[in-house]
Amino acid sequence: MSNPFEHRRPTELEDKAHAEAVRHFAEHLKQFPASREAVERLERDIAKIALAANMAAARPTPQQNIILADDGAQWHKNVELMENIHLCHRPISYAVEYAVVEHFPARGTNEIWNRGWNAGEVVKAFTQEQRQALQIWTEDMTAQVKEFLAEKFPGQDLSRVADAFIHKCTTQAASQKHTLTHGHEQNHSRGVRV
Amino acid sequence: MENIPKTEEQPTTPPPERLAYSVQEAADMLGVNYFSVYRLIQRGKLKPCRALRGKLLVPRTELLKLLATE
Repeated sequence: MSNPFEHRRPTELEDKAHAEAVRHFAEHLKQFPASREAVERLERDIAKIALAANMAAARPTPQQNIILADDGAQWHKNVELMENIHLCHRPISYAVEYAVVEHFPARGTNEIWNRGWNAGEVVKAFTQEQRQALQIWTEDMTAQVKEFLAEKFPGQDLSRVADAFIHKCTTQAASQKHTLTHGHEQNHSRGVRV
Repeated sequence: MENIPKTEEQPTTPPPERLAYSVQEAADMLGVNYFSVYRLIQRGKLKPCRALRGKLLVPRTELLKLLATE
């Protein structure tokens, strides 16, 4: 999706509506780019992560890094992928099995997301699921913004505002300030597949 | 000096339990960030329903089910 305000400047009402949407959905604007960048980092580093996991699997694991997962097996924490999510391994006779395990602090459990014999493939499958979760987030955010604008500015066509907001959220860098639309979007990274 | 009539105190009844929550509310209730809720939805651990404009809502029963397995 391109920024609709690049081709035609926003009207006064669109400017106001956009500013209100940015204020109302500030937490989305903060969390989405950070989550997207975390997924992009994983996608970029799959080979490095797999190598680190293979090397760690060849070494003994400190006792405090051994966890019990929901499959009843003991897993060795290996590489941290995201907060509370680790790539783990467990030796089985002459092979090593890998799994992405998430720790849920509230319930104190460790849940397996993906498992397999190839660390790279396991991480890849995990990142693909994260992409799908980002897509669900994008669709939900679009619906939320449209609902907000329709309630706040009844009877107005603010579809360009909704499009501009989603464009901003899905393309801006996590560290970027939430400034207004036109003229500022030129520096944003493009072609992010969400 | 006029006596100000005392207002009768009404018995307070707790508000009825809501049937569903937005993703933000669900995240707050579970103590996780937004992405975690969307990841739980993606995995089928939370089954959302959709409001009229397509916004996701997490049924209270789904949250309770998730917490029960915790």
